[in-house]
Amino acid sequence: MQGISTVLITVEPEESMQARPPRALAPRGYTAGHSLGRASDAALQSRILSDALELLEHPPEPGTLVTREYA
Amino acid sequence: MALELTRYCIPWTPLRRKLRDATVMLVSTAGIYHPPDPPFEVEGDLSYRRIPSSAPAAELRYADAHYPHDFIDVDLNCVFPTDRLRDLVREERIGSVTEFHFSTGFTMALRDLRDQTVPTLVAEVAQQRPDAVVLTGG
Repeated sequence: MQGISTVLITVEPEESMQARPPRALAPRGYTAGHSLGRASDAALQSRILSDALELLEHPPEPGTLVTREYA
Repeated sequence: MALELTRYCIPWTPLRRKLRDATVMLVSTAGIYHPPDPPFEVEGDLSYRRIPSSAPAAELRYADAHYPHDFIDVDLNCVFPTDRLRDLVREERIGSVTEFHFSTGFTMALRDLRDQTVPTLVAEVAQQRPDAVVLTGG
């Protein structure tokens, strides 16, 4: 079976990392219900999504959780 | 023959093309669905939904009782950034999105999720031929 390149966006990293995702982004300051950022803030949502997608093209070591601050 | 990962194995597939040429899919566990498809049972549901990637977030709904909804009542992109993905296609930062995204609902029956739901879901995901999948929760 061929795999599919995957990245996880998580606001519960301690739980998520138990599943050993290959790539993961944790947006610091955001919690369940808005893991992709504030409502109606397209620029912020796009920045978080883009940062996650960037991990597909420029990945850290497999299984690394990347934590980023978003204002 | 079924393959099962050991507890220490990290599954890894490299991205095989530039992001700007890649087809991207969203897979969510946040209980998202596109009416008239039926909602999830909020206290436990092993099914999943296909969500047309062309549908604006404003047309989508959620069925959930396990995370706060204040933000997604205003803007579902807070947990399911489908409008943002289409923006990235227009901006030529990604190549395209798959015809459908997918969402599961809430369940504590993780073994059943793994053994019953995931194989069927993965087969449908593969049929969409994404180059990359973004996994999101609530």
